[in-house]
Amino acid sequence: MSDLESRLLDAHMQSDKRSLVSLYVEASQQASTPDAAGFFLTQAYVYALETAHENCSVLNDRLVAMGRNPD
Amino acid sequence: MSGKPTTDLSCVHRPIEQANGLPNAHYTDPSIFAEESRAVLFNEWAGLGVTAEVPEPGDALPVEFAGIPLLMLRGRDGTIRVFQNICRHRGMILVDAPRKIEGAIRCPYHSWCYATDGRLVSTPHVGGPGFNTHDGIDRGTLGLVEVRSHIWRDVVWINISGQAAAFEDAMAPVIARWAEFDAPLYHGGDDSRFELKVRCNWKLAVENYCESYHLPWVHPGLNSYSRLEDHYHIEAPQHHSGQGTRVYRQLQDEAGRVFPDFPGLDPKWDTAAEYVSVFPNVLLGVHRDHAFAILLMPQATNETLEKVHIYYASPDSDASLRVRNTAQWKDVFVEDVFVVEGMQRGRAAPGFDGGRFSPAMDGPTHLFHDWVAARVENFRTRAKAAE
Repeated sequence: MSDLESRLLDAHMQSDKRSLVSLYVEASQQASTPDAAGFFLTQAYVYALETAHENCSVLNDRLVAMGRNPD
Repeated sequence: MSGKPTTDLSCVHRPIEQANGLPNAHYTDPSIFAEESRAVLFNEWAGLGVTAEVPEPGDALPVEFAGIPLLMLRGRDGTIRVFQNICRHRGMILVDAPRKIEGAIRCPYHSWCYATDGRLVSTPHVGGPGFNTHDGIDRGTLGLVEVRSHIWRDVVWINISGQAAAFEDAMAPVIARWAEFDAPLYHGGDDSRFELKVRCNWKLAVENYCESYHLPWVHPGLNSYSRLEDHYHIEAPQHHSGQGTRVYRQLQDEAGRVFPDFPGLDPKWDTAAEYVSVFPNVLLGVHRDHAFAILLMPQATNETLEKVHIYYASPDSDASLRVRNTAQWKDVFVEDVFVVEGMQRGRAAPGFDGGRFSPAMDGPTHLFHDWVAARVENFRTRAKAAE
């Protein structure tokens, strides 16, 4: 298990949703394909929505630009 | 023959001198309870909670109302709305305990997300991994299912069927009766709320609340200043009923301090108070210096949660007086528990005919039975017509 996977699991265990936002963004940056990046960015966006995270609209804009979220 | 369980309610409609109460099955039979819930709890305006339970934007309170999972939610705009507490995706319960919604309501199953005004704002991976839209999923039509609601006297009233008359019309008689009390209400806070779980059908709590006949026997402490002859009936047929007293005495501490009065009241209220059962399930009381609301939450055919909230005319009422007032009312309501639970146990007696009413003293109670019976019969007539 990679260090990132371990931190993600830990954040899930702790229900640390704000950390999940940044960790899934990090995962999207490490993704090897656009689809994988879209998946992880979506995960980050959902937790950002739930927590009213300050990066929520930025994440949405990126998903819109990728054709993943509605315009 | 449909084979559905039914009851003969004709005896309930007789003049009070000859009338019987609702039959046993209305207190003991789960199938009648289910039918009656639809007829009187879902088709009418019923109390779900009070706004003081969701004081700040984002506050969410899940409430099960006669088996229906609901969510009382104060949105970012301060508006209180009531929704079915389920995701439009797979029907999962969305919020399982009272909490603050920081941003969106995220379904714990597949993470569909809803804004606090009910809009569906995210459907992650709905079009496949990383694709969050799909032509077959129109978010605009998949918001939370809102339940019709209205706020009056801080109570959040709901009409689940959506078919009742507008609240102001449906409740016009009691709104008019207490127009003088249409002033801001300030919930006393944590020291001014309590709950009683009673092992009885919710209707028995209504019946007991709306008559004064039992006061000298069940609340003997009232005899010293508020005797039976000081009370009068409140009877609005097919609407509400209750009782009033002409000898209300304000709570006072050792220093002579009292709660401030609601503004602009007629002098008659200096010594008067009224207690009204607003059918189906809200019991209200008004006094010159405080008011209360009791919401009867049916938990099962023979189980009810009574949620009591006490209000004042000022946001800074004296805390020690409030505590005494709450304790005083709790004592009174606890005194009623053995009665409503005893009547419930009594409904297990085979062949009990619903009992009789004192023509002089039980008018408000008979009026409630008549109201329930009329709505159940109307419901049955409509159901039969739809077959």
